[in-house]
Amino acid sequence: MMNLFDNLTLASMVPGHHNLTYHLVVILIAALAAFIPRYFPMHFFTNRKIPEWFDEWMKYVPVALFTSLVVKGIFVDSKYQLISERVSWLGNILVYGHATYIISAIFVMLVAYFTRSMAFSVIIGLLAVWLLSFI
Amino acid sequence: MQEKAHQINPEKARWLEDLGIAMPLCLSYLPIGIACGILLHAAGMNFMLTLLVSIVVFSGGAQFILASLLVIDAPVTTIFITLFFLELRYALLGSSLSKYLNNESPAMIFLFSFSMNDENYAVNYLKFVTDKHWTTRDALMVEHYSLISWAGGNMIGGLIGNTITIDLNIVDFALTALFLYMIVMQIQRRLSLVICVLTVFVSLFCLLITRHTIGIIISTLLMSLLGFWIEFQVKKHHPKPDETWILGKLFRPRTTRTTKEDVEVEKQLVEEAEAAEDDNQQANDEDEDKHERGDES
Repeated sequence: MMNLFDNLTLASMVPGHHNLTYHLVVILIAALAAFIPRYFPMHFFTNRKIPEWFDEWMKYVPVALFTSLVVKGIFVDSKYQLISERVSWLGNILVYGHATYIISAIFVMLVAYFTRSMAFSVIIGLLAVWLLSFI
Repeated sequence: MQEKAHQINPEKARWLEDLGIAMPLCLSYLPIGIACGILLHAAGMNFMLTLLVSIVVFSGGAQFILASLLVIDAPVTTIFITLFFLELRYALLGSSLSKYLNNESPAMIFLFSFSMNDENYAVNYLKFVTDKHWTTRDALMVEHYSLISWAGGNMIGGLIGNTITIDLNIVDFALTALFLYMIVMQIQRRLSLVICVLTVFVSLFCLLITRHTIGIIISTLLMSLLGFWIEFQVKKHHPKPDETWILGKLFRPRTTRTTKEDVEVEKQLVEEAEAAEDDNQQANDEDEDKHERGDES
């Protein structure tokens, strides 16, 4: 995810065997992955009571999952190695992770905390990445 | 706001009222949908396929991830497992709404769950809890409005992806930003924050050890179970678990401290208190009447 840009430029955008059939298979797979967790629990629980432990456990799934995904986006490259870089505009200190993303992430969290607005948070984040890319 | 809506919509047509409720959602879906469409286009999908994906998947996070998995040429099994775990949170959302759908036909449940999403769930859940006239038909309408806006955004992104060149490094951060926003929204209690901070280290460890997306799934399972276990232990050993530090609510800035839910709950409490006061007043009046009559006799 992190190195999407590098990958794109290296691998001339799209892998060779990705044709229409392949994409349709991927869409079918993605649709199933999206549909199963949406439909079956809802269908199952419309006339049954939700067990309390399931509810209590599921409460912590989003936080753990989103945090793991953010960590992968900021600190790990596409070969699953820890990113470390010397940042010239921070006095050549060694930073673990993508420095631009770390700083932008702090902005996103602050905006989300103070405004609770999804669109605003994402736009500020993108703006921060864009501005920092000029330094 | 309510009055304004009535001026635009004097006959109070349901579809218009529902559109008004869904509008903030639709407007914020558009830019993110366009960004998502551009990414999917870069991953090799044409705009018709992008439209199809946005309708059948209808999830920002899942579609961003799908685009990056396509680019790194991940195997189909990895795509399925990653998306499945990402969408697993809808199991929770779906089961928490299920009690409002218990009289509905299987077809309705199918349609409803098909286009359920984090954000339209939040709108519908709030309406179901606070508005007793809110029907599943209204809820479905809100879902469909947000779907139209999301799919429209995706299609625009798929179409303009051809004509404009954008730095994909920037658009790629949209996914991380989206997840960061959701984390901030999710963390209400101190325990969630503790789990979040611990997850940073655990997920990094899992990712670097496994060298595979499965690391995300392992750390998610471990850390969600840890949170569940800590809460269970606190509730078991403490007489008033809600008053413990760890299960207490996190500080919020004044402007956003009271959420819509809090306002609605407060309104209800005030109404109930007023109703109770009226009852008391009546009772007092009756008492006074009795006293007066008693004095007379």
